[in-house]
Amino acid sequence: MQPTSEPQTPAPTGPALSARTFHCMGTVISLSLPAGALSGTPRERVLDNATAAVGRVFAGLDRTFSLYRPQSEASRMARGEVTLRGASAAMRARYADAAGWRLLTGGTFTPERPDGVPDLSGIIKGYALRQAGAALGGLQLEDWCLNAGGDVLVCGSPGSGAPWQAGIVHPQDRRRLVSGFSLGGSARFAALATSGTAERGDHIWTAGAGRSEFCQVSVAAADIVAADVLATAIVAGGRTMLDRATDCWDVEVLAVLRSGDLLGTPGFRA
Amino acid sequence: MRIRAAISAALASAGILLVGWQSGTHVAVTGSSAVGTSAGTSGAKGSNETTSGSSGSSGPASSSGSGSVGAAAKAAGTYAGSVVRTRYGTVQVQITVKAGAITDVTALKLTDAERKSVQISSRAAPLLRTEVIRAQSANVQTISGATVTSEAYLGSLQAAIDAANL
Repeated sequence: MQPTSEPQTPAPTGPALSARTFHCMGTVISLSLPAGALSGTPRERVLDNATAAVGRVFAGLDRTFSLYRPQSEASRMARGEVTLRGASAAMRARYADAAGWRLLTGGTFTPERPDGVPDLSGIIKGYALRQAGAALGGLQLEDWCLNAGGDVLVCGSPGSGAPWQAGIVHPQDRRRLVSGFSLGGSARFAALATSGTAERGDHIWTAGAGRSEFCQVSVAAADIVAADVLATAIVAGGRTMLDRATDCWDVEVLAVLRSGDLLGTPGFRA
Repeated sequence: MRIRAAISAALASAGILLVGWQSGTHVAVTGSSAVGTSAGTSGAKGSNETTSGSSGSSGPASSSGSGSVGAAAKAAGTYAGSVVRTRYGTVQVQITVKAGAITDVTALKLTDAERKSVQISSRAAPLLRTEVIRAQSANVQTISGATVTSEAYLGSLQAAIDAANL
């Protein structure tokens, strides 16, 4: 398989950014703002406030929905101590979202593990990004980039109106990029999510027995929840789900087959 | 009071009868072989006895069916489907039925939005590595990939980008 870029440590040549990171939901969340937009204001304070707002959204959802916290509502549901009927409004709302996606994806995306335990982790990260974006909007921030463990949501531009440039990591070599995609600015979409079997190989339950025909699927969409759910569904549902996604949603998809070959919609064509 | 109860009961019965009649005709539509099924889903009128208000979804261009009516096995002719809106414009197809089987499907209308040529396929097709949008890690501001764990993040390109901007 021919890499499209050489491994290298990035020496940023683009617009100057200010970034903050924090750990949540078992991964790292990065927030980047254009450095230029912060000049003239107490720059550190703007970044602090923005990071705190994003952190509150993620931490709040993590407390309720994480299965690795024994006392979370999700864990109590998994143990059968709480039923969906007795669950919080937030839990029921996200479960309803996920159940809706199960219908829309013909059962390929599901809010339950094979053992029947409700598992909303496939939808919570995207939802957290969406809510965090709303929180940043509430702070009057118009240009930002959020990355939660490889799922990206942007607003505006990193500088002079240009779109944000996102790279899509190579499934076999995470120091290389397999492709790129423009987000925000004048570009069509603001969200890009990638699912695969490379990192957390066990978190996608394939529809049938056996391995997925794709080792990585990236979906660009206007909405990060849609991008995230559809990327997961396509890994699980293979080519049938890929065609369904491109037929039914306004999305661009880049799928990497196990052979290393690529399948892509026209938006990924250079 | 009694009168009101009687009226309610009568209305309820009528409702039940109506529902029964409608579901009955629906069964008749979908159950009458391939022709009936396609007529039911496309909204075209296939036969007299089954279409009396049952599907109610016949499109702007209704059937031009000229075949014999009633007996499904003999039904033949052309049937126009309803006009369906898609992302690329409106689409309408017509089926030709002979001896109860669909023998032809033709497009009456295909993405004719403003007479412009509209890209029909948004489907994924094989792409060579040289054909996809290229990106160098030095020129991107963020990295999308399968979810990285907190540990894996440390060795990721995203971590390198973040570190450069911290």
